[in-house]
Amino acid sequence: MALEAGRISRFQVIMLMVGFIFGTSVIVSPARSAGHDAWIANLIGIMEALLIAGVFCALANQFKDKTLVEINDLVYGRILGKAFSLIFIWYLFHLSALVLTVFSRFFVTEIYLATPKTVILIVFIAVCASTVGRGLEVLARCSMVLISLCILVIINDAFLAIPTMDIKNLLPIVDIPVEKLLWAAHSAATFPFAETVAFTMIFAFMNNHKGRYAPLAMAILIAGLTLTLAVARNSLVLGSMESAFEYPTYLAIQMIDIGDTLSRLEVVVAIFFIFSGFIKVSVLLYGTVLGLAQVFKLRSYRPVIIPVGILMIILALTNVGSSTELYAFVNNEFPIYSLPWVFGIPLLTLIVAKLRKLPQTGGDQL
Amino acid sequence: MKKKKQLRMFAVAMLLTSLSAFISGCWDSHDLNKSAITAGIGFDIDPKTGEHLITYQTIIPSKVKSSSAGSSDEQTGGGIAPAVNLDHLKGTTWLEALGNYGTQENRSVFFSHNQLDIMGKEVAKQGVYPVIEHAARITQSRPNNLLLIAQDKASDIMAARDGMDVIPAIGIANEVKQSAEFSKFPAVTRLEFANRLMSKTTAPILPIIGIFEETAPEGKTFNKVRIKGTAVFKWDKMVGELNEQESRGLLWVTNKIKKGFVVIDAPDGSGKASLTITQAKSKIIPQLTDGKITINVVIEEQGDLIEYKGSKDMDVILLKQFEERQDEAIQNEVMAALNKSLALNADVFGFGEAVHRKYKKEWQDISSRWDEIYLDIEVAIQVKTHINETGDISKAIIPQ
Amino acid sequence: MFRLLAKKLGISQSPKSRNQKQADQNSSSIALSRTLDINLSDIRSILGQSSDVIIHKMKIGARGNLDAAIIYIDGLVERNLVNQDVLRPLMFHMQMIEDEGERKRSNILEYIQTSVLTAGDMEPLKDIASVTSAVLTGNTAILIEGVSQALVINLRGWETRSLEEAKNELAIRGARIGFNETLRTNTALLRRIVRDPRLTFDSLQIGERSKTDISIAYIRGVAQDSLIEEVKQRLQRIDTDAIFDIGYIEQFIEDQPASLFSTIGNTERPDVTAARILEGRAAILVDGSPFALTVPMVFIEGFQSPEDYYARPFFSSAIRWIRFLAFELSIYLPGVYVALMAYHQELFPTPLLITVAEAREGIPFPAVAETLFMVILFEILREAGLRMPRSLGQAVSVVGALVIGQAAVSAGLVGAPMVVVLASTAIASFVSPSQADLGALLRILFVIIGGFMGMFGIVIVSLELLSHLCALRSFGVPYLSPITPLNIGDLKDVFLRAPLWAIKNRPQSIGSPDLVRQAGGQQPGPNGGEKP
Repeated sequence: MALEAGRISRFQVIMLMVGFIFGTSVIVSPARSAGHDAWIANLIGIMEALLIAGVFCALANQFKDKTLVEINDLVYGRILGKAFSLIFIWYLFHLSALVLTVFSRFFVTEIYLATPKTVILIVFIAVCASTVGRGLEVLARCSMVLISLCILVIINDAFLAIPTMDIKNLLPIVDIPVEKLLWAAHSAATFPFAETVAFTMIFAFMNNHKGRYAPLAMAILIAGLTLTLAVARNSLVLGSMESAFEYPTYLAIQMIDIGDTLSRLEVVVAIFFIFSGFIKVSVLLYGTVLGLAQVFKLRSYRPVIIPVGILMIILALTNVGSSTELYAFVNNEFPIYSLPWVFGIPLLTLIVAKLRKLPQTGGDQL
Repeated sequence: MKKKKQLRMFAVAMLLTSLSAFISGCWDSHDLNKSAITAGIGFDIDPKTGEHLITYQTIIPSKVKSSSAGSSDEQTGGGIAPAVNLDHLKGTTWLEALGNYGTQENRSVFFSHNQLDIMGKEVAKQGVYPVIEHAARITQSRPNNLLLIAQDKASDIMAARDGMDVIPAIGIANEVKQSAEFSKFPAVTRLEFANRLMSKTTAPILPIIGIFEETAPEGKTFNKVRIKGTAVFKWDKMVGELNEQESRGLLWVTNKIKKGFVVIDAPDGSGKASLTITQAKSKIIPQLTDGKITINVVIEEQGDLIEYKGSKDMDVILLKQFEERQDEAIQNEVMAALNKSLALNADVFGFGEAVHRKYKKEWQDISSRWDEIYLDIEVAIQVKTHINETGDISKAIIPQ
Repeated sequence: MFRLLAKKLGISQSPKSRNQKQADQNSSSIALSRTLDINLSDIRSILGQSSDVIIHKMKIGARGNLDAAIIYIDGLVERNLVNQDVLRPLMFHMQMIEDEGERKRSNILEYIQTSVLTAGDMEPLKDIASVTSAVLTGNTAILIEGVSQALVINLRGWETRSLEEAKNELAIRGARIGFNETLRTNTALLRRIVRDPRLTFDSLQIGERSKTDISIAYIRGVAQDSLIEEVKQRLQRIDTDAIFDIGYIEQFIEDQPASLFSTIGNTERPDVTAARILEGRAAILVDGSPFALTVPMVFIEGFQSPEDYYARPFFSSAIRWIRFLAFELSIYLPGVYVALMAYHQELFPTPLLITVAEAREGIPFPAVAETLFMVILFEILREAGLRMPRSLGQAVSVVGALVIGQAAVSAGLVGAPMVVVLASTAIASFVSPSQADLGALLRILFVIIGGFMGMFGIVIVSLELLSHLCALRSFGVPYLSPITPLNIGDLKDVFLRAPLWAIKNRPQSIGSPDLVRQAGGQQPGPNGGEKP
């Protein structure tokens, strides 16, 4: 009585991960605190993320066809394992609510000035929920279609903005103290790259049993380089104003005006933001409901989707009082807050698993 | 099984019906025929009473077509009848003035298509920051809007009827872009102004626009709107002006020369000769030695000869002489700009940022004393020009 | 819901249950008796006294003393053939052959079948029900005194439409033949194209009272056996009164009746059907309908036309892109227009905005209502144009469109840009006529969503449709193959139309035990082209 019968291919996983990493970072660039050196911070962040990813990938590789919840049960035993799993599920849930917060604030600030965030969130969660309800395969297929477009569009936007760019905006290189740069790099590593720890719930459903690290590394590189390109473009176009704007990508694209015809392209950015947000929230929602179904031994995760969705909306509406609070949290606290989940706990689980010599050869115990 | 299905259908039907509650809201829907599309906004402060005045032009769409189609024989008076409405708002602060909007208009104002913001002289003197800052916050404004300073009052500019354009504000915006394209005065967008403002050393600039009276041969006078100078700011207050020649010099140094003309005295004394600019590049190379800053400005230009009143044939030596004269002319423009900038102690060229990019360690110290240091810097100007073509003819078509 | 109400009010009328129907059938499965008259009276009682039922008693045999009867339905048989190939041999030639000796009664049917009748397609039947059924479907039945079997001969022939061009799928290059309403003609058309011995037609009869002949056409070894099994199972599960058209079959066997997208392809052209069979699909033909169903179907098929393959690749690829573009345009343009007009006026370039604003001045309706009104009007015009008597058709639709459009603009009910948008949408929707219905629905959906939630709503609904499409399967094949799941080999025929000599394999997404359809390395060129 499998909870998830679908299997996805390596290519689909990579596309899912790229979409996931794009998430909200398309609009709210990572490593913003580094000012115009954000692109360097981004690159360093990618490297840090590759290291962090190595840990939880090693864990996933150890237990090839088990989701993280199942792994926790195996490694820590029934009770402690469920406790670890529930904490992890909270991380996914909270992350999703954060994404929703950023998402809804963007739309309400820039585009729909009067519509209450609730409406936007309900409509958005509705489509995420229905996709998750259709299964992992459907989600993977959607991401294939959407993300290939996304990558093309982001790169295209960067090229279109070339007339408005000024290379001097990137100089001087490394203008800020090194600690600040490294902190920005670390914040980029944790938001969004290392959040791919969520895929420990999805790796189990890949239909080949080769290593999990290669596709993840590839996704981080593809997404990371594309994002770095976008970040560099923002700095090049906006100059020192980049750090003042809340949504630099949106504003940088507003500057594009080619021959008076090709202007006002920011709608394209907004549309692709919806796409990447959709993938990220759907993956997180999927991880959450699948995890809950596995922890509580449900027959199917579908009944849980709508309640979890509603709770996510509620949390998204209530977790921050203002956008200032939100960005303070993202820039200052989040990089520390997420460390246990992306690095600490997977490392611990890996060590315990190795000590206990799991998985035992000769079949699974669940 | 049937009952369950029917129950489900019932629930779905209820849900769908309740969704219509959302639809009745349509919070953000604003129909075009209830929006007032502004084309240009002017900001003024009355120096005596301190009253803030906002003037804005809104487009009357129905008149646009008929304006451009009809009234083509009007050579006198205004020419094309403009398709805009002019409105004023008053208050003791900007926000109060904007707030009065509700009492006047029957439509909601819509800024996204605003072409330019003009600020009056008095606003420039008192500091433009409140206007800039507010505009940066509201989301309808776009970073590539043009900013201007009015020679006197922005409301006059807004009210001026040039007769050239159906929508005067768009006409003015085009003028600004043209003047930048022909390398006369800079066109400054909101983004550029903000960047300069944020910099610790660079002085912001804005073009100045004013109304000229021109007299046509028949004796009628027209009011024409023209750009006539560049305003120089210290922080957000205007401290001085660059005239046409000085503005040109500024453009040479900041690598903003596109098309345009250089007029020189012909080397053979035949009067003035003109050359057109095809390409121009400039570099600012700072050097910091022993606490002394030297700035090398390297200007390279390529052009074609288009007007020569003399009777000499074109040859390389003559061209060389032209080039030398051209170098001089450009140098003069740059020197003029430099001198004015020193007189105002305003780094309009961005020399400070150039030093910052190269010498980031020393920058902290230098930037805090920039006001003193700026007057001491040495500027070396190097101009290299080259004449490529001389047009269709290579001999003078007049006997020697 | 209504059934609940009906039951409560006591006016429910449940249709005949299956058991009752079985009982009806069983009662007529009586075996034929040896006595001719009993058989004839049984048959008469079942067939009734209709004037087109011909029951003709005759005497056959050497001495003209054998009673026999021939039963057929006038109009369903070729009377000449009945007279020549059945009556004549029975009445005359049987005598001559009988001279050679005595024939036993029991062998007489076999004797007639093998040596007397000069027809090819015969079979003996034992019970009344199948005999009457056979006669009703156009066969001719012979009953002989003393023989408890009837011989049923296929001499069917009736008035039928001559083969005409397929009006709904026009191709400039390519044969101008479409299927017609006779099943046998259609299967013959397929045979003319695929002359492979493995082309198989499996027959079924579906429909309680219509007993419609259905044929499943496929190529053994190229189509997967599991597919054919599945098709047969689904068809056999159909239990209904009558099949009027192949559309009935389609609606009974499709995967997702609730979806907007059709998962079963249909076509009127034999060459298209043959091509699809050759790719591993199965085709379903129904007597009485000039359309063929092909399963499985993927989304891309809606954008492929036979023309694509008969013309050269560059042109075909470009046209295919134009088709995609036109379809997207026809769905999104009105909705996006409304969304921009009502919510996102900042997205128009300024000159365009002024034009649009000017058009909107003085129009009494909000943008949504205006657009919705126009879109629905367009659908009304389209439908009316289809149903109108031919003589009026052309003139009225053209005049109607122009006049209404012009008048509406002049009266200030609708803006001129709106009419332009609508006209472009209309023309664009006809580029892929098979998708016109789908396009109409989606268009209206997007107009409504665009009017109520702006671009965000349109994007979200598009996402939902994408998600739905990704989940949709047609007979096991994911609907969006080969885009996702990605199958690079199959992409040769999706966005671009690769040159014919390059499409070596059958599409993997459909699945076939025999993947290779042609040899590689056949690029043409002056010296025999590429070496393989």
